[in-house]
Amino acid sequence: MNKLTITNLSKTYPNGVKALVDVSIEIENGIFGLLGPNGAGKSSLMRTIATLQEADSGSATLGDIDIINQPAELRKVLGYLPQEFGVYPRITAKQLLDHMAILKGITRKSHRKDMVNYLLNKVNLYEQRNKSVKSFSGGMKQRVGIAQALIGAPRLIIVDEPTAGLDPSERNRFYNLLADVGKDVIVILSTHIVDDVRELCTKMAIMNLGEIVYQGSPQNAIQELNGRVYRKLVERKELEMYAQNYNIISNKMSGGKPLIHVLSESHPEHGFEPVTPNLEDVFFSRINTSNSLV
Amino acid sequence: MFKTFFFSELKYTLRQPMVYIFLGVISILVFFAIVSDNVRIGGAVGNIYKNAPYIITIYVNVLTIFGLIIATAFFNNAALRDFKNNFNEIIFSTPLSKLGYFFGKFFGALIVATVPLLGVYVGVLVGSAMAPAFGWVDAERFGDFYLATFVNNYLVFVLPNMFFVGAIIYAIANKWRSTVISFAGTLIIIVAYIISGTLMSDVDNETLAALTDIFGNRTYSIHTQYYTPIEKNTLSPAFEGLILWNRVIWIAVGALILLLAYFGFSFKEKNKKVKAQKVETKENEAVFSFPELQFQFDKKTNWLQFKSFFYVNFLSIVKSVTFKILFIFSAIILISNLVGGFEYYGLQSYPLTYKLIDLINDASGIFVVITLVFFSGELIWRDRDHKINEVIDATPHQSLISLSAKALSLVGVTTILHVFFVFCGIIYQLLNGYTRIELDIYFLDFIYSNLILYVIWSGVMIMIQVVSSNKYIGYFISIAVIFIWEIVLAILDIQSNMVEIGAGPSLMYSDMNAFGPGLKSAMWFNLYWSLFAIICLLIAGALWNRGVVTSLKEKMLTAKKEVPKSYKILTLVFTIAWGAVAGYVYYNTQVLNSYRTSEEQEVLFADFEKKYKRYENVNHPKITDAKYFIDIFPYKRDVLVKSKLQLTNETNEPIDSLHFVIDERWEPEIKIPNSDLVVEDEEFGYLIYKLNTSLQPESTIEIEINTQYITKGFENGRGSTGIVNNGTFLNNFEILPSLGYDSNVELSDKNTRRKYGLKPKDRMPELEENCSESCMANYLSDGRSDYISVETVISTTKDQIAIAPGSLQKQWEENGRNYYHYRSDHPSQNFYSFISAKYEVAKRKWNGIDIEVYHDEKHPWNVDMMLDAVERSLKYYTENFGPYYHKQCRIVEFPRYASFAQAFPGTMPYSEAIGFIINLEDEKDNNVVDAVIAHEMAHQWWAHQVVGANMQGSTLMSESFSEYSALMTMKSISKTPMKMREFLKYDHDRYLRGRSSEVDIELPLYKVENQGHIHYGKGSVILYALQDYIGEEKVNTAMREFLNEYKYQAPPYPTSLDFLRYLEPQVPDSLNYLIKDWFKEITLYDNRMKAAKYTKLSNGKYQVSMDIESYKIKADSIGNETKVDINDWVDIGVFSDADEEHLLYEERVKINKPKITFTFEVDSIPRKAAIDPRRLLIDRVYDDNIKTISSE
Repeated sequence: MNKLTITNLSKTYPNGVKALVDVSIEIENGIFGLLGPNGAGKSSLMRTIATLQEADSGSATLGDIDIINQPAELRKVLGYLPQEFGVYPRITAKQLLDHMAILKGITRKSHRKDMVNYLLNKVNLYEQRNKSVKSFSGGMKQRVGIAQALIGAPRLIIVDEPTAGLDPSERNRFYNLLADVGKDVIVILSTHIVDDVRELCTKMAIMNLGEIVYQGSPQNAIQELNGRVYRKLVERKELEMYAQNYNIISNKMSGGKPLIHVLSESHPEHGFEPVTPNLEDVFFSRINTSNSLV
Repeated sequence: MFKTFFFSELKYTLRQPMVYIFLGVISILVFFAIVSDNVRIGGAVGNIYKNAPYIITIYVNVLTIFGLIIATAFFNNAALRDFKNNFNEIIFSTPLSKLGYFFGKFFGALIVATVPLLGVYVGVLVGSAMAPAFGWVDAERFGDFYLATFVNNYLVFVLPNMFFVGAIIYAIANKWRSTVISFAGTLIIIVAYIISGTLMSDVDNETLAALTDIFGNRTYSIHTQYYTPIEKNTLSPAFEGLILWNRVIWIAVGALILLLAYFGFSFKEKNKKVKAQKVETKENEAVFSFPELQFQFDKKTNWLQFKSFFYVNFLSIVKSVTFKILFIFSAIILISNLVGGFEYYGLQSYPLTYKLIDLINDASGIFVVITLVFFSGELIWRDRDHKINEVIDATPHQSLISLSAKALSLVGVTTILHVFFVFCGIIYQLLNGYTRIELDIYFLDFIYSNLILYVIWSGVMIMIQVVSSNKYIGYFISIAVIFIWEIVLAILDIQSNMVEIGAGPSLMYSDMNAFGPGLKSAMWFNLYWSLFAIICLLIAGALWNRGVVTSLKEKMLTAKKEVPKSYKILTLVFTIAWGAVAGYVYYNTQVLNSYRTSEEQEVLFADFEKKYKRYENVNHPKITDAKYFIDIFPYKRDVLVKSKLQLTNETNEPIDSLHFVIDERWEPEIKIPNSDLVVEDEEFGYLIYKLNTSLQPESTIEIEINTQYITKGFENGRGSTGIVNNGTFLNNFEILPSLGYDSNVELSDKNTRRKYGLKPKDRMPELEENCSESCMANYLSDGRSDYISVETVISTTKDQIAIAPGSLQKQWEENGRNYYHYRSDHPSQNFYSFISAKYEVAKRKWNGIDIEVYHDEKHPWNVDMMLDAVERSLKYYTENFGPYYHKQCRIVEFPRYASFAQAFPGTMPYSEAIGFIINLEDEKDNNVVDAVIAHEMAHQWWAHQVVGANMQGSTLMSESFSEYSALMTMKSISKTPMKMREFLKYDHDRYLRGRSSEVDIELPLYKVENQGHIHYGKGSVILYALQDYIGEEKVNTAMREFLNEYKYQAPPYPTSLDFLRYLEPQVPDSLNYLIKDWFKEITLYDNRMKAAKYTKLSNGKYQVSMDIESYKIKADSIGNETKVDINDWVDIGVFSDADEEHLLYEERVKINKPKITFTFEVDSIPRKAAIDPRRLLIDRVYDDNIKTISSE
């Protein structure tokens, strides 16, 4: 059984920004969602696990591999799709994937060929395999990125914001693929899109300001909020007043007016109505602890 | 609106550090050039002030090239900044004026772009203030400042150049909006510049070259080429003459480009090209299955990864636009060079493989550097730039693998460049019908001089980029390492090739001696630097930063933690190997063959002079007879010499001691009977032997001096080029110690001397009339000998011929070696050469004299013509001057390490580079190969039969006479008088250029002090003109009678006054002024054809009328010129053709006022009118002597 253990990982950038604050998580096979707003430290955590960034303190192990001190060992079992995935100019999809396959230690040519064709087909790019990757659309490039992350048989797959730029059907296709491979390996999916986590993950963590503010299953998180979330359609000019008097966890526009969700132990009356909490409420309630309007 | 953008551009750019960095760099460079003689920008300063207007202008001009690159950055940024920041859509949707935006930014950038070049002024001002104050440079070497120098330089050169370059870059940047293409534009400008430079190498194209020079740099050097020192010290550049036209042309071109760019400029986004989608036919759906995978991480994987990385990187360079542009431009440069061919005084040399190799290495050098610097940065930062770095970095490959692949791809592309060049070279050889194509030489040269250098630089550059925190810092360090490090070493006076990256002795291939004496050393340095490069790569591999960019310190910490033990061992092994090689190289180049740096050498000379000059005038005996036994071992590069010398006391006093100065390299052993070594100064090699019984006047002593040159290991430089495998060439002064203090080794440059507290060097003794004591020594042997006999037994290996002076008495083989016994036929100057090489010998007999040409078997082409030239010279000289006293005339080829020919008695070594490889197939007339032979042959009379006393004017009778004699043999076979003008052109040029960079003072011809431009250039022009004015026979008679009196005579030696004594009676009274004007004073003419017209007459003839201006100018020794009244005979004439080949009419007229008109009739249509059509008179600007005639 694969197990990724992260213990007390901390990282402060030279400019004083705390990217990781004493992060500890344990992750087992399956898709693990890492949710958090931009700048929460998700990418720093991902990069640290992917051996691309040093931590100031703490440890990380995958099974018996010490990630911090044996980066070369981890790289042998890693599949990684960073947040920004670019490609070389003047190289075709097939050439790129073949190059990656060689780097991942697949020495036999026939194996590489089968593997590359298999993955290209999986990400629906087989037809375009001899085209320059640079000419691909954003979604197509992202699919190449996904394919390269799956090359070889990684035991740990890290995908950082993978669905950005994908249209809904591509997104579905990607989820199926991920769910497919995620059965036997650890997949860490970092995202700020709540739906992604809801649809795919059995375990999740929410990060904010470098800290893990929640970890567990999405269901548990939602259950915790059961009966405590209320909503109301308000006037724009009244927002400030509501913010002072209520624990607003989110506000979004609905038909031109702000629709606010508030967290309350008892029914706040004044036209509020109870709602069934969703993961989004969990997310906002966890990160919006300062009660500010977001 | 214009103002807004102008000032915002200024403000923005002036806040950036770049402008100050470049300003600082240029200031520092110029500062060092001012305060140190080791840093030079565009050549030596010579006799001119260190802050002379001329020097400042040269600095400005040379540094403009640097300024060009800087300007590219400014203009490109001005054009692209808004686009780069994606600000364009915001800014262009506002209602701003296109005019203001476009020009505001341009002129803002223009002003800023000129700022770095102001560093020249800062450097000059600070340097000139500090250098004398701190005693770095003598205050005497600084003159006044002229405000005009600064202002005019800015207005004439800096601003227009930046405007022109800026217009192009700005236009390109606005059109393509790509930094890469903008820099490509810069390359185009550089190429255009170089091409205009190749035009300039032909003197005829000077005006064209002056106008085509986009920076006005060469225009300025053409404009000032005949400047005297005083003019260089006082005149600031101005808008005048060709400079004005050049500036007008290029400012206009710049303005035109700018306007075109303006009208093409649009705020709209460039339309992206939409390619038509190809309809793909669906392939048969393959069956995809996830394969069984095997992972392997071993050597084979490393190799595969290396190959894959190499392929990806290599392809990325080869397919990149920058590389294609570089490739095309290097090809253009190479081809334009090839089209120019291998010119030598109007002739072409055969396209020998080594000529092409030289040319390829010259042409490719700059592109290789650009390629390596630019692409090392590209490759290292490419993954990051394309945002694929995290993916690649997270794969299980070793960093070293990826970096080595990058290094190899750099080597690969540079190799491609080289191979392409070689291919062009071969095509060129074949097109010229030359079929001796030496592929092996091309290949070996590539390996020895290029490939290894590419490897070294690739490794070093990769390391630099890896440790740098971004690409541009990497570029900066790379360039600093290439250029600035060299300057630092020069300042520190370090010359070891062990500290200058990639350095080693430069190889020069010779047909005679292949890669030559430096090869062994070059190979060791190559090994030394290759190992260094590998270590650099290993360090880069350890420090290579995966993932997030970190500081160097963090990189080192990470490396310490992560680098595996085996890697450390590998690095250690290479470091030990490098250390071992370094030790061996150090032992060979510093211990076994120590050398002096140029500064140490200077100090030594200075100290030597201070310590031993007191012995300069001690009496010493003369060598009166010499016997040599020389064994040459060319393949070991050893020479053993035994010599028996007879010394005679020709003074009036007894001599009690003998002084020698030895060359430690030759390990001399001196045996003097009945004497004691009383002074042995090892530092300076000064020896004094005390004779137990003094050598009385008129008595002789026999001494024996044995010396040897043993080659040990290898040297820092190329080593001796005199003792080589094939083509050993030595003279007696090299192999024997000198007899007493020799003032020739004294430092000569007065500024250098002042640095060491020495007074300016004694000038040549002044010309004396009726001298007795001062004329006892001649200027060649300086009283150490007169005319002596010499006998030599010389041996060499079995496959070579050895040559010594005189007739061959006997030849035999002994111990598998060839022995030769030579003896001189007539006492001669004690100046002999000893030569050994594999030769073919061509012989001819003329009136009992053996004419012989010893040449390499690969160079048979010109041998017959050389025999002809020798014969022609013998004929003219024996008829006009007197008999030849040797029984042979030998022309002997030696390797091309030096390119001269030299006359020893009866033997004339002649460099491979200048005579044997020149293509004379189509040359019907005389040519420079003949001219050199005729000159050296003439020395057999002038210098070897008669030689001047050691005082002013003596080289008139050797060099001027020889050059004149050579011109006369050429004239004897010239079919038209105009052909001679082509030869005289070089002599005129030599004199005028020489006098403009005069280091001391200029003296009239009869007092020449061994100054080449006067005795060769001016002397030959004047003697040639003289024979034209008074008649060939008259001049030759004077020379013959002079020779008759003095040839082979014991001292006193003659002076130039003795010659004038013979000349004067030959000159008719009407031309008597010529002796004063031409020999005894410095006289120049300024002749101008102001207007020329012709009218057809009713009798079918044409009447020509020309308005002439003519001035006679007297110059003093420092170049001050005054016009004097003219009352001289000058030729006027007309040509019937535009090429000035057919002189239709010529008349010698008396010109007695500065402005004068002549009218005469000719038979056919005149095309050009000329004053002094055959260029007999010395005129700084000859072009204005000739004008196309207009009809009325």
